[in-house]
Amino acid sequence: METTTVFLVLILLTVISFLTGRKRSHAVTSGQGGARALHSLPKHYGYMAGLWALLPALTVLVLWLLFESSILASIVKDDMPGELWQMSESEQGLYFNQVVGYARGATDADMLDPAQIVAGDHYRALAESSRVIKALLVFVIALLGALLAIRRIHPKLRARNHVEKIFKWLLFSCSLLAVLTTLGIVLSVLFEAIRFFQAIPIADFLFGLQWSPQTAIRADQVAASGSFGIVPLFVGTLLISTVAMIIAVPVGLMSAIYLSEYATRRFRAFTKPVLEILAGVPTVVYGFFAALTVAPFIRNVGEALGLHVASESALAAGLVMGIMIIPFVMSLSDDIINAVPDTMREASLGMGATMNETIRKVLLPAALPGIVGGILLAVSRAIGETMIVVMAAGLSARLTINPLEAVTTITVQIVTLLVGDQEFDNPKTLAAFALGLVLFFVTLLLNIIALYVVRKYREQYE
Amino acid sequence: MLVTEADYLLAAGEKKMKSSESKGAAATREVGNKRSLDIREHVEQDDYRTIGSPFVDDAKMTARNVNVFYDEKQAITNVSLDIGRNEVIAMIGPSGCGKSTFLRTLNRMNDIIPSCRVQGEFALDGEDIYGEEQDTVLLRARVGMVFQKPNPFPKSIYENVAYGPRIHGLAHNKSEMDEIVEDSLRRASLFEEVKEQLDKPGTGLSGGQQQRLCIARAIAVSPEVILMDEPCSALDPIATARIEELIDELKENYTIAIVTHSMQQAARVSQRTAYFHMGKLIEVGDTKQIFTMPAHQLTENYITGRFG
Amino acid sequence: MNNMSKPRSATPTDAIRASLKKRYARERRFQWYGRLAVLTGFVFLFILLADIVSKGTPAFTQHYIKVSVDLDPATLGLPAEPSREQLYSADYLGAIKAGLRAMFPDVSGRKEKQQLYRLLSMGAEYNLRDKVLDDPRLIGHSSEFWLRAHAEAGSYLKGQIPAGSPEADRKVKDLQIAWLDQLRAEGRTESRFNTTFFTQGDSREPEMAGIRVALYGSFFTLVVTFLIAFPIGVSAAVYLEEFAPRNRLTDLIEININNLAAVPSIVFGLLGLAVFINFFELPRSAPLVGGIVLSLMTLPTIIITSRAAIQAVSPSIRQAALGVGASKLQTVVHHVLPVAMPGILTGSIIGMAQALGESAPLLMIGMVAFIMEVPGGVTDPATVLPVQIFLWADSPERGFTEKTSAAIMVLMGFLILMNAFAIFLRRRFERK
Repeated sequence: METTTVFLVLILLTVISFLTGRKRSHAVTSGQGGARALHSLPKHYGYMAGLWALLPALTVLVLWLLFESSILASIVKDDMPGELWQMSESEQGLYFNQVVGYARGATDADMLDPAQIVAGDHYRALAESSRVIKALLVFVIALLGALLAIRRIHPKLRARNHVEKIFKWLLFSCSLLAVLTTLGIVLSVLFEAIRFFQAIPIADFLFGLQWSPQTAIRADQVAASGSFGIVPLFVGTLLISTVAMIIAVPVGLMSAIYLSEYATRRFRAFTKPVLEILAGVPTVVYGFFAALTVAPFIRNVGEALGLHVASESALAAGLVMGIMIIPFVMSLSDDIINAVPDTMREASLGMGATMNETIRKVLLPAALPGIVGGILLAVSRAIGETMIVVMAAGLSARLTINPLEAVTTITVQIVTLLVGDQEFDNPKTLAAFALGLVLFFVTLLLNIIALYVVRKYREQYE
Repeated sequence: MLVTEADYLLAAGEKKMKSSESKGAAATREVGNKRSLDIREHVEQDDYRTIGSPFVDDAKMTARNVNVFYDEKQAITNVSLDIGRNEVIAMIGPSGCGKSTFLRTLNRMNDIIPSCRVQGEFALDGEDIYGEEQDTVLLRARVGMVFQKPNPFPKSIYENVAYGPRIHGLAHNKSEMDEIVEDSLRRASLFEEVKEQLDKPGTGLSGGQQQRLCIARAIAVSPEVILMDEPCSALDPIATARIEELIDELKENYTIAIVTHSMQQAARVSQRTAYFHMGKLIEVGDTKQIFTMPAHQLTENYITGRFG
Repeated sequence: MNNMSKPRSATPTDAIRASLKKRYARERRFQWYGRLAVLTGFVFLFILLADIVSKGTPAFTQHYIKVSVDLDPATLGLPAEPSREQLYSADYLGAIKAGLRAMFPDVSGRKEKQQLYRLLSMGAEYNLRDKVLDDPRLIGHSSEFWLRAHAEAGSYLKGQIPAGSPEADRKVKDLQIAWLDQLRAEGRTESRFNTTFFTQGDSREPEMAGIRVALYGSFFTLVVTFLIAFPIGVSAAVYLEEFAPRNRLTDLIEININNLAAVPSIVFGLLGLAVFINFFELPRSAPLVGGIVLSLMTLPTIIITSRAAIQAVSPSIRQAALGVGASKLQTVVHHVLPVAMPGILTGSIIGMAQALGESAPLLMIGMVAFIMEVPGGVTDPATVLPVQIFLWADSPERGFTEKTSAAIMVLMGFLILMNAFAIFLRRRFERK
């Protein structure tokens, strides 16, 4: 049975349970004055029966789907002949993918060796029984659940409270998902990163001045230490982010000041949404713009001035990233500046300060912590930005702070290392996760500090 | 869209002002390097007449035929009033009667409210306040303001007081500034309490101290007039008493206009009292007389506590 | 006390008056900085949009060349009574080449002939094949066919190649230009709306490449994202606003949500790769996994905006419902959620728009494949529009630059529609 069918049947069972539960609630009170004798409304008994049918079965179904393929694969692999285990992990993967492809009818048998065909048939048989077991299991659990619930129906049963409790737990688990996601990120990245650090000493990774993962994969050469030094990536990331902030902070901040303190209401109502379009432009569009328009332009200008500009200069990527971040800085600063109470403006203007004196000497100092927090968030965004740099920054790691040269960033390296076929025993692939770990923690740190600062700032004026 | 060249002088919302103002003040002419205003007679409207004596001989500030609008809504109707030199004038009346609005027209604080329109003639020592040549910076330096809620800047006590002199360039060196700060704090009778903590944030003081700090901040630029908009409404009785004492001392050197909700306060600190009602100036006169023998029924109702 | 400090030396009016000019100059400068900043933003936006539109607009038209082709069964290699299968695999290319040679009889030499053939798209033979399959009676006759031009030839016909540029700098050679000019003079070229762009999948040839597959992929991915993120996000928001007790766990959840909103999107890609692809072995390149990853990414946005919408519901509604004996859950479901719904939808649409434009995490889970087949479901390999843009942006051909920009225009069009709808909802919501 297909999963969709199983799911639809499950829904049907749920509806039936609901109807049965409701009917049963009428039945148990037939001698005692009907539905009035019930603690809750009849439909609540129905809901209860339905939920008991649906939830456990659905949980089992989802778990089954999640684990099905990995369990099948491990069973089949265990039964396969020994030569499989002599291959490298990547070859194993390829070899086994063919088995699965054959089992699903996507790969022709004549491309495979006999062992694969045996395994493939085995896989197919297992998958077939898995489907049957899954369907049976789900239905049995659904029926059992419904039965249990329906048997419990009794006029004194507080079905409404029961149902609401279930819903409350459901709502709670939904909000818990945020924690699980964070946990998932940390664990998955950490797990692979630890495997990476078993091959490359962590100190070499953090303090190494050279990044060249490609040289480390030659068959006879174990990852040479020093090739996985993150310092040049870090410097490159910071270089591009700095260029971006040099564009975004003055423009964003001054725009926010102008719009909130000087502009007429109509001008503001028109301008803000227009500038916010910049925030809605997908990053891949910025990447395209950076790579095909801005970079050649900067290069030409540089050449006209007699400067050597790399075609993938940090300046181009940073400039475009800055444009992307302008509305971000603008709306954050706008919020922050507006949070400064009007009494401050009045006090300053009331003693004859001009508007810019009020802004520079009263509003900005008062808003400074908030603005710093906002800028930190913007920096975190710049550091984590991927598409612009993947498309417009370089690939080779160079330790330089000259924005006219090509540098590479942490995110660029993650993408380059992971796009394409991946081998999970290879330091090259694992390095991407180590980079991800660094990226996650750096941005997390910035975010926590920024959110804390901003919150403290807001509380001050509440 | 962007603002015209002439508007650069003005802060945010002040623009609207500029174009609508001073049509009535067309009589303003320059005389020597001082502008003087031919104060027109107060023009009475049919339906109402201010009772008492809105005009004085030695006026520091004069206002004639003042009308103020917020968009279409009229907040003040045909008010004329003089503020005498070195007197304390109290403005009382139920909430929403326009007394604060009137106060704010005196140093053009209404300019920062875009929807606000002011008509009428105003003069400070005979100079047109809303005139073409008038300068809000200079005006506000001469006519200081203290607000309802204490609003010290989130800076040190010292910096709060030094702010005005600093932006106006009144001190030429550190010791002059120190002197101004100390002097202002003394005049606001706050110095003794804070002299050990001048570098502590002004926001850390108690409410009453904060308000006295705001007064010190206002007098640090040596204004000629101080406008006080319900300066004690956020304070406890003891802090209020200290501020009232202070006002009494300040009137030696300054002209003070105070808006207050409290009739007792008006009676205690002021020499003249003006009673506002629904945007109209109902009655003005000697404080003693207003409180003992109000001439108008509304005034009497108010001071006897029938409403407000 | 008053005697202690006399009023300071005269009034400070003169000192202030003296400084005014300078202060106003500074004020004026400061305002100009502000205007300049706003203007800078505008200029950037304008350049960005103008650049994309000017590059992308030509991609919406495509040139066709009228070629007279003799569908002689012998040239096509067909028997007398061809079956459909035989018709399908006949040698249409040969017939087209013959037709071209017949139109330009002077062309000789292998290289020149190659150039001549390159006037037409590699897909021209499929054009012709489809026409013959539609109407097999064409076989045996010589007729005129409009066939798709090659991207480079099309680019010349669109006037994108500056006259007089050195031949070495361009892909369209002088000879081809002469032929194209001649064809144009004879009325044998025509510009049509580029339907291929919307009806085809990816291709190595710019003139045959389209965004249909990517649109389907985006659609499936977005459906998965919405189905996961919307119910979970709203539930979480309801829990946090209405039920959550004030305790450590709630704080932890809130901090987590705020932080997740700021985690770089690529990190979600790493999560998807490690957990859903490697651990659970879900299919690579599939909208299912893409949708899951994007839903985790947009969840914070939806939760945060939904919470704001729920918060905005006046407490009196809650008290009224609770007052007549409704349970907390009933209050929320019957009264609070309906009122908050426009706000929640607005936030969700904005979240969906974010997801639609996102590409970095999808690169991680393999949605970067070259895919020509329209995906039939959420587990088939697929790509999405932003990733298609990324892939095309990498291709050096001029034809692809144009297609990339056009795809961007389509993507931005969708985003503008979504945001406009969100704004519309919010306006209606606010008016209430």
